Formats: sequence, C-alpha cells, structure tokens
Amino acid sequence: MKRLTFLAAVTATLYLPALAQEPIAIGISIAQSPPGSVVQGTQVKDGLEIMKDMINAKGGVLGRPIKLIYEDDQGIPEKGRAAAEKLITSDKVVALTGGHQSSVCLAAIEVAHRYQVPYVNTNCWSDDVRKKGYAEVFNPSNYNTRVSQAMAETIAAMGVKRVVAFPENTDYGIGQAKLLAEFIKQKAPQVQYKYETLDRAGKDFTPAVLALRANPPDMVINVMLPPAAYILMNQLYEQGVAPSAKTWLYDGAGLADYPDFWQNVKEAGKGLISFGLYHPRMNIPPIGKELAAEYTKRTKGEPNRLIFQAADSLLLIAEAIKQAKSTDPKAITKALQNIKFSGVRGPFQFGKQPGYGFQQWVDIPYVNYQLTEVNQPVSKSNLIQGPGQPLDLKKLQKAK
Amino acid sequence: MLAVDLFVNGLIFGLFYALMAVGLAMIFGVLRVVNFAHGEFYMVGAYTYVLVAMKLGVSPWLALPAAAAAGALLGAVVERLLMRPLYAGYASWSIMKDEYAVVVTFGLSLLLINLVDKIVGPYPYRGPALTELSRVVLGPVLLNGQKLIAAGVSLALLVGLALFIKRSLWGRQIQAVAQNRLGASLAGIDATRTTSLIFAISGLLAALSGALLAPLINPSPDVGAFPAMKSYVIVVLGGMGSIWGAMIAALLLGILEAFFAVYVSYDYRDALGLLILILVLLFRPQGLVGEKGREV
Repeated sequence: MKRLTFLAAVTATLYLPALAQEPIAIGISIAQSPPGSVVQGTQVKDGLEIMKDMINAKGGVLGRPIKLIYEDDQGIPEKGRAAAEKLITSDKVVALTGGHQSSVCLAAIEVAHRYQVPYVNTNCWSDDVRKKGYAEVFNPSNYNTRVSQAMAETIAAMGVKRVVAFPENTDYGIGQAKLLAEFIKQKAPQVQYKYETLDRAGKDFTPAVLALRANPPDMVINVMLPPAAYILMNQLYEQGVAPSAKTWLYDGAGLADYPDFWQNVKEAGKGLISFGLYHPRMNIPPIGKELAAEYTKRTKGEPNRLIFQAADSLLLIAEAIKQAKSTDPKAITKALQNIKFSGVRGPFQFGKQPGYGFQQWVDIPYVNYQLTEVNQPVSKSNLIQGPGQPLDLKKLQKAK
Repeated sequence: MLAVDLFVNGLIFGLFYALMAVGLAMIFGVLRVVNFAHGEFYMVGAYTYVLVAMKLGVSPWLALPAAAAAGALLGAVVERLLMRPLYAGYASWSIMKDEYAVVVTFGLSLLLINLVDKIVGPYPYRGPALTELSRVVLGPVLLNGQKLIAAGVSLALLVGLALFIKRSLWGRQIQAVAQNRLGASLAGIDATRTTSLIFAISGLLAALSGALLAPLINPSPDVGAFPAMKSYVIVVLGGMGSIWGAMIAALLLGILEAFFAVYVSYDYRDALGLLILILVLLFRPQGLVGEKGREV
C-alpha cells in the first residue's frame, strides 16, 4: 500500500507540472491554397504567429502556452465548415479564429454556434455574419456597412455623377455592391450607380471594360480580391478607362497594402484611391508598434491591416481566457461578451444592437488615401482622410 | 465601334483558346482520352516564363522558348511514364483505359498545382511583358502591346502547326496514327514515337499559351483551370479529335463570348460555353467538322 501511495505521489509530481504546461489549442481556418485568397491567408497567419509568440514570450495564458492548429479551407465554404467541425471535435480547440472570406465564415459560424464554441472573425466583411445574431461570434474586423457608408460619403463629397462598381461573385462582393447602392441613394441621390458582377476566378474582363470605353463613367469601383482584382485593374488601365483624366478608380477591397500589389499592377495602380483600415500615420498603441516592428523584422515589409486584425483576434481570445480564468468555451464566450479590450489597434467594446452591429467593433477606424506613384508604399501615399477626420479632396490628383 | 472592339478582342482570345485546345484535340484524336492535366501544362509554361525572366534576369524573348521547352519536356515525360500503359503492352490497363486516363491525369493535375503552390508559393506573379507598349491604337481598337504580340505569335504557331501536320512526314504520321493506330503500325510507322511527339507538341503549345499570357493574367497555381475548361468545350464543339475543328471552334467561342458578355450577360459568359457543350453533345455530337463515326 505504501509502495502504491509512493508511486502515485511520484507520478503526480512528474505529471502535474506537465499538465499545467499543456498548451491551449486555438483553431485557425484560413485559405492556404487556391482558389481561396492565399494572399490574405498568409497575412492572417503571419499576424497570428507573431501575436502567439508575443503572448507565449510573456508566459502564455493562465500559465499555459498558446498553440495554433491550422486547417486549410481553400476559401471554399464546405471546406471551412469541415475544418471547423474537425478543429472542434477532433483537436478540441477552445476557440476558432482566422476567417477572412465571408462565404467561408458564414459556413463555419454555423458549426461554432452548434457546438457553442467562440468564433472571432478576423476579416469577413459580409454583414450577414453579424446579422445571424449568434452569441458565439465576435467581430473585431471591418464590415460591409462601414465600407459602403464611408465610400458613399466620399462619392457624395467628390461630386461624381456616374459610378460603376465591379464586385466579385461572392457574399462579400455582391453584399457590398448592394449596400453601396443603398447608401449612395441616401447620401448622393443624384448619382447614377450600377454594378456588374464578375467571376472571381475570371482571367479576362475585357468585354465588361470595353462596354465602358465609349462612354466612361466618372468613377469605377473595385470590389474584388486578388488575383482577379489585379487583372481587372490592368485591363481598365490598358483600355484607358480608369484611372484616367475622366475617371477615378476607387478601391473598396483594401488592395493597396498587399505585399504583391505593385508587382501585379504597376502603372495601373498609379492614381488609385483606396479605402483602408490601416495606415502608418494612424495612432497605434505601443503593443501595435511592437507588432509592426516584429513583422518588419521578420518579413522586411510594411505590416497591413490583416496583420493587425489577426493579432487582435488572437489577443482577444487570450484576454477572454484570462478574464474567464477558464478555457471552457462557454466561459470564454461570456467573457468576450463583456470584454473591455485594448488591442494592437486601440481600445474597443463590442456592440450589442441586433443587425450589422451585433458583437461588432462598430466604430472601427478607417482612412482614405491615394497612390500617386508606381511602387509607392502606403506610408508614403497621399492621405486624404485620416481616421475620424473629414475628407481633404484638395489633395486628390487626377491621372493624366 | 464597340462591335469592332469586341470582334477584335474576341478573335484574339479565340487565338489563345486555339493554342490550348489544339493540343488537347491532338491527344484525344490519337488516344481517345481526355487529358485533365492539360491546364497544368499551361500553368507550367506561365511559371517557367515568369521565373526564368524574373529570377534569372533573362530577356522575356528568351524565356519564351524556355517555357516551350519545359512544356514539351513535361508532355513527353507524362506520355512516357503515365500514358504509355494505355497502349503499349499493359493489357489490364487498356481494358480500363478511360478510367485509368481520367484518374491519372486528374491526379497529375492536382499534383502539379500543389507542387507549384508549395515550391513557388501561392502569390500571383505578373510576368514581364515582351514589349513596354501598354496601349497600341489600331484604328478604333485599343490594344495592349503584349496582347497584340501574343496574338501574332499564336497565329504564327497555329499556321506553322497546320503546315507541319499537312506537309511534313511527321505530320502525316500523326494523321495516320490518329486515323488508325494499328493500320499505321502495319504500314511501318512507329506509333509509340508518334504519340510521344503528340504529347510533346501538346505540352509545348499549352506552355507557350501560358507564357504569352503570363504578363496579362498574373499566374497563380490554379491558373490552368480556366483555359482547360474552355479547351474541353472547344474540342467538343470542333469535333472530338479534330485539329481544324478545334481551331475554328476556338475562334468562334472567343467572338461569341465577347458579344454575349456585353449584349446578353457578363455573369453568364462562361456558362455560354457549357451550354454550347451540352447542345452540341445532344444535337450534333460529331461537332462542327467531326465525323459521325469511323469504321476501318
């Protein structure tokens, strides 16, 4: 008996510290291969990895390190759904994050809701993700209403008369183009607006562009993601449609800060006006500056919004676990609902109103800027609207 | 004015489609199987062009033959390692010929996409253009200089291929093997070597098509899916296995799509090809210039 007690004591002594160090598993579903936006997936992964290292370097959460378990959803909704199912049931993750394509998020949140596991949306803009009203879904990312409202205000201020948008054929693209129609009606009723949906897997948009050549609009709006967005921009430029002396090109998809942007568009990017969620001249708290410096150290590049959004997604989960003092998914969800969070982009709280603002960072800051030279980094771009500031249209330069 | 623009752009895209589809038609004509990895020959050509020109700093005009050589080599290797069991002594494989071809070429397609994704990376790469002229004015038509050169090279290649098939000894051997493999062998033609040649030509044409378009389509690992889909439609529309039919069908599809996109619906432009595919299979399975049947 004494021997058994001794053995049990030895086992407990050896095993318990190991148990205390057992990592907290967090599930990440991102596009790591086509046809999803691998560019976005890679950026999200970079942001998450840096934040994971920052958290673990400070002792982890509740004395345990964070471990990220990745699944490749290829930007396909059914794969996103399967990835969420596998991460929750097989890998036993305590929370999910990383989602960056709306159609995939819409599929994955159904699984998270069914298993009552918190889901922190990193970059899915579709309002429908919020409108579902699921208690487990939290949105520190941007949303379509925010972009459409901001773009409609810019369009109204610029006094343009005819606007054509090219959205991609996804929940995000079509959702944003429709919302833009509603906001333009409210804020600039004199503007003639129409949109033409394009295939996100398409390689030739020339017919759609040629139809504009004879009578170019005052503004063309991009609501597509790379690589299709780059092809569209090149074809708009080649046909002399936009950016041109007559027509502005306005990007609502945040293209300009992707690392491969200039390599793919060259001259076609000069003159582009862009809605942005990050600009180096924004006020960033010290932890955000630390993140940016680490990203630059690792990649030699400038960080973009996705790096910050991904880092905030993970930090939110870590903070919620700390506040809940538990890794139980329901306790984490409860903590997230009431959290007063200060992340890499500043402090915020989640909205409670049903609709697009449900569990959303409603006042997420944004900027508008114009690229005036080929290969211009965002930090050197022409900032025409800082966060919370009015537009300064005098700074805009028309293409020659 | 718009109609002229659409016609010219449609014709140019038709030439690109033709360059892709002809190789697929040749393989089908000889082996009666569909190569589901044909789009990846195109992708390999696009990437070879981009990487040789950008990473090695070689002139784009020299990167073009490098891409062609890579495509030809890939085609020949695929024939030797994967397709030869279909006709060279593996009796058990020839019984399940269709199933084997579908599985092996589909598997090859996925393998090549994932290899490029892991080795080169997922980011799209815009290849350097053969000319710096971004806009060329031809009467009422405004064209990208690269597009114009690519169309010219495509046309020259298609004419060259037509002459090669019609006039050269090897071309006549290809025709003979396509008409009757056994008969050609009895007449002293090396059918195995001819099949190898067909795969090499098919790979070369698809790779050149990808290389010529690399500065326009920003290749990513899945770039071959779109032209491969068009090629299947074209091969059926032109008449399964008919090289001339594939050329005519490609030009026709390019023009039809351009007009359909503007005057009917851009959204359904790609569906037009698939609708044509179904209608042709239902009402004219021999295609535009194909034969109804063949007996020897």
